[in-house]
Amino acid sequence: MAVERASPGLWMLAWRRLRRDRVGMTALVVVMCYLFVVFLALMGWVAQDWTREVGVNYAPPVFWAEDQDETAQRPAVDHAALTDPVPLYGLQDPLARELAAIRAEHPAADLAEAPRRLSLPLGGDKWGHDVWTKVIKGSETSILVGLVAALLATLLGTVMGAVAGYFGRWVDDGFNWLYGVFTAIPYLLLVFAIAAVLQQKGVVTLVLILGLTGWTGVFRLVRAEYLKHKTREYVLAAGAMGASHARRMFIHILPNTSHVILVQLSQNVVGFIKSEVILSFLGFGVPVDVVSWGSMLNEAQNELILGKWWQLAAAGLAMAILVTAFSMLTDALRDALDPKLKY
Amino acid sequence: MINHMGRFLFILLGLWVTGALAAPPQKVLHLELSAAETGFDPVMTSDLNTASIEQQLFESLLTYDYLARPVKLIPRLAAAMPTVTDQGRTWLFTLKRGVYFSPDPVFKGQKREVTAQDVVYTLMRFMDPKNRSPYKFLVEGKIIGLDELGEAARKTGHFDYDARIPGLEVLDRYTLKIRLKTTDYNFAHAMAQPMYGIVAREVIEGYAGDTASHPVGTGPYYLARWIRSSLMVLERNPNFRHEVWRFDPGNDPDSQRIAAQMQGKTIPQIDRVEIQVIEEAQSAWLSFGKGELDMIGLAGQFAPIALRGAHLKPSLAQRGIRLDRISDPSIAYYFINQQDPVLGGMSKEKIALRRAIFMAQNDEEMIRVIHKGQAVRNAYPIPEGVAGADPGYRSLLDYNPGEANRLLDRMGYAKGPDGYRRQPDGQPLAVRYTSSLSSQDRELDEMMKKALDRLAIRFESEKLKFPEILKAERQCRVQIRLSAWIADYPDGDNFMQLWYGPHTHENNGSCYQDPVWDRLYEKTLTLPDSPQRDALYHQLARLLELNGVTKVSTTHIRNVLSQPWVIGFKAHPILPSVWSLMDLDASRAPHP
Repeated sequence: MAVERASPGLWMLAWRRLRRDRVGMTALVVVMCYLFVVFLALMGWVAQDWTREVGVNYAPPVFWAEDQDETAQRPAVDHAALTDPVPLYGLQDPLARELAAIRAEHPAADLAEAPRRLSLPLGGDKWGHDVWTKVIKGSETSILVGLVAALLATLLGTVMGAVAGYFGRWVDDGFNWLYGVFTAIPYLLLVFAIAAVLQQKGVVTLVLILGLTGWTGVFRLVRAEYLKHKTREYVLAAGAMGASHARRMFIHILPNTSHVILVQLSQNVVGFIKSEVILSFLGFGVPVDVVSWGSMLNEAQNELILGKWWQLAAAGLAMAILVTAFSMLTDALRDALDPKLKY
Repeated sequence: MINHMGRFLFILLGLWVTGALAAPPQKVLHLELSAAETGFDPVMTSDLNTASIEQQLFESLLTYDYLARPVKLIPRLAAAMPTVTDQGRTWLFTLKRGVYFSPDPVFKGQKREVTAQDVVYTLMRFMDPKNRSPYKFLVEGKIIGLDELGEAARKTGHFDYDARIPGLEVLDRYTLKIRLKTTDYNFAHAMAQPMYGIVAREVIEGYAGDTASHPVGTGPYYLARWIRSSLMVLERNPNFRHEVWRFDPGNDPDSQRIAAQMQGKTIPQIDRVEIQVIEEAQSAWLSFGKGELDMIGLAGQFAPIALRGAHLKPSLAQRGIRLDRISDPSIAYYFINQQDPVLGGMSKEKIALRRAIFMAQNDEEMIRVIHKGQAVRNAYPIPEGVAGADPGYRSLLDYNPGEANRLLDRMGYAKGPDGYRRQPDGQPLAVRYTSSLSSQDRELDEMMKKALDRLAIRFESEKLKFPEILKAERQCRVQIRLSAWIADYPDGDNFMQLWYGPHTHENNGSCYQDPVWDRLYEKTLTLPDSPQRDALYHQLARLLELNGVTKVSTTHIRNVLSQPWVIGFKAHPILPSVWSLMDLDASRAPHP
């Protein structure tokens, strides 16, 4: 009995096309590796101890033979002097009783430090933090900020673009006015203005800043798609069958614009990872207890002039590889999802 | 032929005349400020950066000799050093004649001479409650009748500048008698502060509400251009009197070299001073390297590339760059706001918490990692080079995180499920550290974060611009901060006043108000520099530690680099700026 083979769907076709694209697949593998590392860091399985000072100050990378300069030497601590009584000049110590009890239990000052390594795989920063661990932990912040901010921007852009394109008329005019305002202000100025208004450092703030300023590109493209699709037969047919506006917009039209949205999303991820780096570099980014590639580059600006290049190189390289891979993946996705390029 | 020859000679003559008459190139000094200025009304100034500019715009009655070490007071607006009688309670000042304010529309085109009445007006402004002067402490409680005027103004809302008080008696246009309530050993130093630069009443009243934007003084320069927090341009004051550079170099070879270059020149030699605010030390360093800045205060992080030990690296010395290096009469000190609801208070628990936070600060690490060795550990509130200093003083609060943790354990600061300590009543505990946006302050944030991590106390960061930090400090809104103070005058009193109760909302950033401490401090005011006063200072310093008010951390080493074309510069421990006493070799400078 002859069986009619089901024709492959849009996503299956796209996947087949992507699989045939060797550059695209390589980029996908690289991106997946980064995401895997982010997952591990997020779960606390790797790089959780990035604040541990394991090396001497500015420990060089193991492959870089360099003499230690005088800043790497630690002065000996006079432990005995710490426990010697100091004169009180006739005054009463309000904590005398508590301190006497503590010192009776612990007569010697406990200042022993764990031994530190003279070199580390990718070097150390000024405190002796391992740069390799920082790069991994930094990737968690930078990529998460990029992903979440891109999702927020894409969501905003898609909803606003859909509403504007579908309803048209004064609704479209209103959204276009808002779009005009946002695009009229230079991007970095807008970002700094929102950063100044929020007055708070942190990952959430960064996501808000980038998400609230980055929706315009998605909006423009999605609006154009909705303007095109809303008069197509399948949408009119859905309307004739009694489908509500929301259903027509988000159940019928949205899947047909998904290739545009997906490509915009991946482009935004790349852009926002770079923006996070710039913002952190300029001091508007993550707070001092969070590490990101941007904060590493910020620290590296003073280190570089002292000849300590490894933190800059490590963070810069990690970012460059990801951004390149993500850009290539975006290209490959666009090719794979474009219905005109069916083969 | 003769015609051609004549034309040729005429052109030659023309060229010679234009060359000879052409103005010599302007001498422009390019400088940087590491933090933004706060405005140019001297009565409201408290920061060094602003004071360095006011030093050039305004003139006080006295000043410090440029070359004398230890520092020595000399007359500035005064014609001579004051006559002091009545056991130091009566001071007779005679002003120089023919000293004029810089031109300003307020004077309606007339030259305006400084008189004794201007001095009276200037001194009165410090007690006007509207001005909330951070440097009021230099006259408060000292001049007979002045405090009463201030008190009356507080009640009526109006300060009576026309009132005559026995403490400020104008004998004639140029002579003023100041009567003090008691002997004040530092009064002469007070009269040498740039904040006590003389102002004209009509200027202050003419620009009421915006006096910080209209500095009109008698100094060698006037403010020609000001872009807030960015650029200040000072130009030669056309009304500045004829004054000649004349200082005794003594036996110091460096001073002798400077004197040989400068002796007999008129003041000022530099026509224009351009000061940019460059908060990032790296930007300033790169600008200096390109010759865009003529002088730079070397930030600690660049010491390893500029210095070898206490000397300039040969690569820089070969370029003719000079290094002036002195130990600043300054302290860097942590303070905690004693009125803060979480950290303040005098209960044992709160004192223990504050002391533990101080004991978790690793000063040696800060010197080594952040300052790159360009600071020294100093635990005493009075630094070396200042009367009353004690380099051998030992702190109660030296780095000892083990004991700090045990103290917190004992006082009931138990750790919660998140691993961070909580207050004894179970409330969450977090410490908010205030600092500026610069990259060096980010490093200090990291230091504080590390210190609090050692104690398992949650760290919070508050980032403000420098002028806003000062404002928050005066309003007792800062929780904990690493602050710095450099001597206005070389006496311990200038440092100890930082914790005097009545100076809250002025210089007492810790908002510490302790009657015991205040009484001891007031006793020191009645004593000259002496072993008795030193004994009291030691008690005061120890009380600050016992009560967990402050921890003195370091003293900074000042390294000033100057380009080969800068002439006559010598770092002065007290004077905030000496630009009018310097010169430039314009032929060697790369920029006009």
